[in-house]
Amino acid sequence: MTLRDEPAASTAPRADVADSRGPDAPTLSTISRSTYLKEAALKNLFLVCAFVAVAAVLLIFMFVGYRGWPIFAKTGLAAFLGGLQWQPTAEQPQFGILALIINSLIATLGGLALGAPLAVGTAVFLSEVATPRVREWVRPAVELLAGIPSVVYGLFGLLALRPIIAQASGGLGFGFATAWIVLAVMILPTIAAISEDALRSIPSGIREASYAMGATKWQTIWRVLLPAAKIGIIDAIILGMGRAIGETMAVVMVAGNAKVIPDGIFKPFLTLTTVIVIDMPYASGDHRTALFGVAIVLFLISMAFVAAIRVISRLGGEQS
Amino acid sequence: MSPLRARAAARTALTLTLLGALMLSALALAGCRRGGEASTTQLRVQGSTTIQPIAEMAKEMYEEAHPGVTVLVAGVGSSAGIESVASGSSEIGTSSRDLKPAEAGLGLVDTPIAHDAIAVIVNPANPVSGLSKAQVAAIFEGRIKNWDEVGGPDLEIGIVNRDEASGTREAFSKIVLGGKPFDPTAAVLPGTGQVRFVVAQARGAIGYISVGFVDKTVKALSVDGVEPTEANITNKTYPISRLLHFLTKGEPEGLAKEFLAFVLSPAVQETVVREAGFLPMGGEPK
Repeated sequence: MTLRDEPAASTAPRADVADSRGPDAPTLSTISRSTYLKEAALKNLFLVCAFVAVAAVLLIFMFVGYRGWPIFAKTGLAAFLGGLQWQPTAEQPQFGILALIINSLIATLGGLALGAPLAVGTAVFLSEVATPRVREWVRPAVELLAGIPSVVYGLFGLLALRPIIAQASGGLGFGFATAWIVLAVMILPTIAAISEDALRSIPSGIREASYAMGATKWQTIWRVLLPAAKIGIIDAIILGMGRAIGETMAVVMVAGNAKVIPDGIFKPFLTLTTVIVIDMPYASGDHRTALFGVAIVLFLISMAFVAAIRVISRLGGEQS
Repeated sequence: MSPLRARAAARTALTLTLLGALMLSALALAGCRRGGEASTTQLRVQGSTTIQPIAEMAKEMYEEAHPGVTVLVAGVGSSAGIESVASGSSEIGTSSRDLKPAEAGLGLVDTPIAHDAIAVIVNPANPVSGLSKAQVAAIFEGRIKNWDEVGGPDLEIGIVNRDEASGTREAFSKIVLGGKPFDPTAAVLPGTGQVRFVVAQARGAIGYISVGFVDKTVKALSVDGVEPTEANITNKTYPISRLLHFLTKGEPEGLAKEFLAFVLSPAVQETVVREAGFLPMGGEPK
């Protein structure tokens, strides 16, 4: 591409472009060859940057797919996705991940149910309610929450939160209840930041119009601003969901890792991500292949989330 | 860059490449020698995380007494340790479990270096102070679910299990459950410290850890009426007990043999092994 473009651009187009513009406009003919080369090099540099991201996704997907595919052939897709028994080291190994899928969904949706209202509330506060001075303090605090490594959330959950839940429930303290709280705090900054952006991007004329019609602040927020920012907030929630379902280190420390669908929210459970952490150190053969199969499922779930965001954004674009 | 300087640079690069290749082949040769006859300066000890404290302390003492010798200790789990010594990537593999039938044909020689008993631990607030081995098995299989079935208060039993990579779990499963499956609803934690921590905090919890890691935060139960005391473990009356193994490929020789003898000497057995919470072999017949 570079080879073909360069000579052409450095000779012929110069004259053409110079002719087509007004005398005052900077034209390509005023650009020296070295500047042109620099520009072209930069263009290609950015192309490479973008290509690396795309190539990484493709390579990871191909690698995971290549390593995990045989398990579908071996157990059958239905048995893998629909089986409730994850017994990889038994004499008759069974690789059913339905319990793990269901546990992942319960953990994610519960965390979302707790965290999303909290996060949207934070966003409304930051964008509509807080004075600039208060905002100056609250926003960095929320941003800091996003920067805390997930293993620290896990430690906090294990050492501080779990004993309290254990006291309250009479059990060990591992379970959905603990994971929900940890996940809710973890996804709060993601959802809050994007929702706040969505709220702030609403033209101030809309707020003024609402106030001019006699609406109170609460009515403005509830009836005007939140509906107007709906698409952005839904995007934010789906992104938070992606973070919650993929979260591993924090969950592994508070989940308790029992490979069943628990019969209560204070009972241990294992998810799609945590099974990989727990089993990978000693897995071999089909067991290892099955873990890659779990990774494929996780990959497809996050692809579905990204697709959902794109579809919703497009719908939003058509609406406005 | 002028052509002359470029030529010079190319020559330098070539020299460097040659030098690098020489060094690499030297390293490779050294590697070969280490694989064939044991190195006299470096010993690799890999395996059980249970044995790691002993191996680490013994390493430090041995290196101090033998300047110039390096002992590399890695805690990678019993299975990985057995694999590493079988494949020649370590001279001594450490294991807290017996060899599996599949590993018996690897030509490994087993030297037991310490007794390790597994204590069944409960919360100190739990009034139950002893269980039969059958009751312990029934609890961990999920057949007994409440403490009132074994003479305790009406409190749900919270089982704390270890992950499947754990040698302790393997030993416990074999000795207590006779290979029957654990209750699948039990919590699975990756580490002795975590098990102890959780049991120390939850009233209804029960777990198992090596006797060496029992502390005041938890209560060790007597099993079949036998307390997990040192005397009861060395005379083998305490029922949940196992041996810790050092494994070598063939009879130990060279540095590996010296290190093994050092670990079995009273200097290590009576200090390091005891301090790590295990019990010395005590010259008992193998």
